[in-house]
Amino acid sequence: MMEDIHIEGVHEAYFTPTVNFEASTGRCEISGESYLEETSKFYARLIDWLKRYIANVKGPLSFDFKLSYFNTSSSKCLVDILDVLKNYQNAGGEITVNWYYDDSEEELEEVEDFILETGLDINKIPME
Amino acid sequence: MESAVTSKRRAVDNIAISYTGIFDTEILSVLAKEIEGTLSPDDKVNKKVFKIFIELAQNIAFYSLEREANAEGSDTGVGTMVIKNFDDHYVFSTGNKTTMENIIPVMEKCDNINSMSREKLREYRRLQRNMPAGEKGGGNIGLIQVALTASNPLEYSLIKCPDGTYFYIISVRIDKE
Repeated sequence: MMEDIHIEGVHEAYFTPTVNFEASTGRCEISGESYLEETSKFYARLIDWLKRYIANVKGPLSFDFKLSYFNTSSSKCLVDILDVLKNYQNAGGEITVNWYYDDSEEELEEVEDFILETGLDINKIPME
Repeated sequence: MESAVTSKRRAVDNIAISYTGIFDTEILSVLAKEIEGTLSPDDKVNKKVFKIFIELAQNIAFYSLEREANAEGSDTGVGTMVIKNFDDHYVFSTGNKTTMENIIPVMEKCDNINSMSREKLREYRRLQRNMPAGEKGGGNIGLIQVALTASNPLEYSLIKCPDGTYFYIISVRIDKE
């Protein structure tokens, strides 16, 4: 049985996003703000979890991104996550990706660029 | 350590926020709060300025020639940030000491970014994002992001210092909606 990931978001000198990954359902959510001191290290743990889930659980994955802010270093890691999801989909995995964006033209463009960049179908949903 | 001055003198010379000193995490978070919370009544504009601030402030922390140890003793860049408030726009500027050798590629990047259409810039950002996370040239995607967020060109100038180094200033205009 795989463990879940629960990380409580922090808004201090750096901003840690809230993370909830659930192994029993394949429901994953990253929300809040992402501006970290050690960006790659933070996301490496999440990517490792996804890879183990894909290799061992082999179940569906439903991913919600609800980030109101992420810096450019974080965006590189978000692309890495999307690449993992795309590879799983190519291998027959069942994937749903929802991207909640702050309602502005610039942020919509950013989601569209993630779609172009990764070839993944991403549902674009304006944030409330 | 140099004295840290954050001032609000809007009426006098359009300066909304200014700061000179070490660009360490603690100070950046104070400036970030100021920008996010109180700069303008429009949250969307504040967010734009905040996004630009994060990318440019990190460049100073990493690349400024003038360096000091912060409270924890780690080596951090020293520089200047100024936000000016005009009727229909803000001007966000940062400045730091550099050498001609280090700054030429940065100025070339700015020229390159300024020559691109928005579509081209987005394509360039996608390309840069897929590059392996290397330390060198890492400032590239930050500058692209600043230009895309501001929707305005990156303006820069270089001032020669008496000690033979240079002071590099980068400015960008952020229109009020």
